[in-house]
Amino acid sequence: MTKILYSDDLTTCFSTWRKEGIMTFGPVQEAGNSGFREVQDEKELDMNLILTSRTLKELFFPRTEPMLSYSIGKQQIETSEFLPSEKPCIIFGARPCDAAGMAMDDELFNWDYRDEYWFRRRSRSVIMTIACSTSDDFCMCTSLGLGPDSAKGSDVLLRPLASGKGWLVEELTEKGDKALQSIASLLKEGTEEAAPTAEVPVLFDLEACTTWLADPENFESHFWKEISERCIGCGTCTYLCPTCHCFDIQDEGDTYEGIRRKNWDSCSFQLFTMHTSGHNPRNTQSARWRQRIMHKFNYFSLKFSVNSCTGCGRCTRECPVDMGVRETLQAISTLQK
Amino acid sequence: MSIQEQYRSRAKELLGEGSVKMVIGYGVGTTATRRRPIFITSPDETDRLVLDASCRTNLAGYLLREGLLADQKSIAVFLLPDGVRALNILAAESQLATAQIVVLGFEIKGEEVKPLEGTAAGDFSAIIAERKEQRKAQPSHEMAVKLEEMTPAERFAFWEKEFSRCIKCYACRAACPMCWCRRCVVDNNQPQWVNTSSHTLGNLEWNLVRAFHLAGRCVECGNCSEACPVNIPLHLLNGRMTDEVLTAFDHYPGADEQQEPVLASFRKDDPETFIL
Ligand code: SF4
Ligand code: SF4
Ligand code: SF4
Ligand code: SF4
Repeated sequence: MTKILYSDDLTTCFSTWRKEGIMTFGPVQEAGNSGFREVQDEKELDMNLILTSRTLKELFFPRTEPMLSYSIGKQQIETSEFLPSEKPCIIFGARPCDAAGMAMDDELFNWDYRDEYWFRRRSRSVIMTIACSTSDDFCMCTSLGLGPDSAKGSDVLLRPLASGKGWLVEELTEKGDKALQSIASLLKEGTEEAAPTAEVPVLFDLEACTTWLADPENFESHFWKEISERCIGCGTCTYLCPTCHCFDIQDEGDTYEGIRRKNWDSCSFQLFTMHTSGHNPRNTQSARWRQRIMHKFNYFSLKFSVNSCTGCGRCTRECPVDMGVRETLQAISTLQK
Repeated sequence: MSIQEQYRSRAKELLGEGSVKMVIGYGVGTTATRRRPIFITSPDETDRLVLDASCRTNLAGYLLREGLLADQKSIAVFLLPDGVRALNILAAESQLATAQIVVLGFEIKGEEVKPLEGTAAGDFSAIIAERKEQRKAQPSHEMAVKLEEMTPAERFAFWEKEFSRCIKCYACRAACPMCWCRRCVVDNNQPQWVNTSSHTLGNLEWNLVRAFHLAGRCVECGNCSEACPVNIPLHLLNGRMTDEVLTAFDHYPGADEQQEPVLASFRKDDPETFIL
């Protein structure tokens, strides 16, 4: 016997949570673009999306956020911090590749410094992930050791029923369990079958790739220039990646008064590594693309024993010149043979 | 011979006889309908070139890659008529010499690809003139008409909502062949003229600065809207600027390489209707 949540009960489910003061978030489609935002009820959700074009990370690491305000007077300096609220949230309908990305970034944001902005939002949120029963041409979770029903980073995993009428519910964490308790009366016992998960082909041999990348001989290889010749350095791959986490800190205002903000940044940009002297250690686009790949599949894994890619496929799906991690790793795996 | 075959053999010939050092064209992409820019330097590789109705990206911007044209050697590039216009503007703005560029011109009508006669940028003036007349006769987009009918407040609300999604990736700039500044004003940080944050003000500043800088220069190739990862209809904004320069100055951006830039030229008989 397993617990089932029926789609028909979703309205009550959302209103129960909201009555308890929990904010509800989910995937929505607006003006031809999709992402996660707060929703009042389940009708706003687009449950047919395989994957939103923007990622879940925006809910934890917004593209811009104020950190503190400052004012410098004759006698004293005043600062006040803007920390995110701790109001509980439930994110309904994340996908396994996005949820996994959040777990990967937990490592990074708690490494030499604990990023309170990230962790306040992380600890107030429950991620309820829906396993994928369909995928598109760009999905590659299975190539990264994950899959259409992987549980990494999720608090609750929902498996779509074969009948399409709801989900089998699996709680994975204490937080998840708590979120389910408040809707306990809506969870029905049942024996219905789950729909088969999506069949996502494995596209490359990840281990062969990481071995090649770890070999210092290959750092200066011609491969980098050839594979990234068409890259226009637009940063789309970074900004739409669930695990890319680089940011810039900017003061807006003047010397005496202003707001310090944390804004997304990308290693694809020339300015990212530009020194004040004018020297740029990564002065070609190929050096920047190499950095993106090396960071994800070499440096990050050396430090945290996990690659910083979930195989969501967005970097290929959305690249204006049809590049992406997929092509590069496929090419590296063939170099091996 | 199919048009693709025709252009492949033309590219092979050009590389083989050494009249160009590189051909910039389209190759197969990740899926059946995706095309990607490719750079061919050997006559043996011209079979990688693809030419079909999916080849829509304006490739003119690649010509400005640092150092690419510095050796005075020529490059052949696949261009739609809007791409040729971009080339004309780049030449007018002293960013390249058209003598170094061999145009492999083509046009897409519906789902059909048609060859265009000519090899030098100047050879395409007839089709460009034809497109100018078409552009004058009808607005580029249905939504553009709707926007005109709105009150200024409604229009502002429309753009505010669209720009609210902007994530400040600057992909529009990276994809635009006209955005060739080595250092964009928004990247100037001493002082930081334009906020880097993607909040309402920052987004409005960025998108308006960019639109102004493209007035009379945008060739409406669509690269920016296509690249924008959050689907902001940038073509409507830049298209509006084209309407303006067309009506005020009969200026069709990139008509030829002698054309004077609208925002950088002065005439004594300028009507100056906007000065009170
Ligand atoms: S790989 Fe593609 S998406 Fe990423 S910076 Fe280069 S052109 Fe942009
Ligand atoms: S690198 Fe590409 S495939 Fe991997 S998580 Fe980021 S966007 Fe997705
Ligand atoms: S602004 Fe957009 S449409 Fe105009 S030339 Fe640039 S990329 Fe093309
Ligand atoms: S491409 Fe779109 S999201 Fe990126 S900066 Fe331009 S308008 Fe903003």
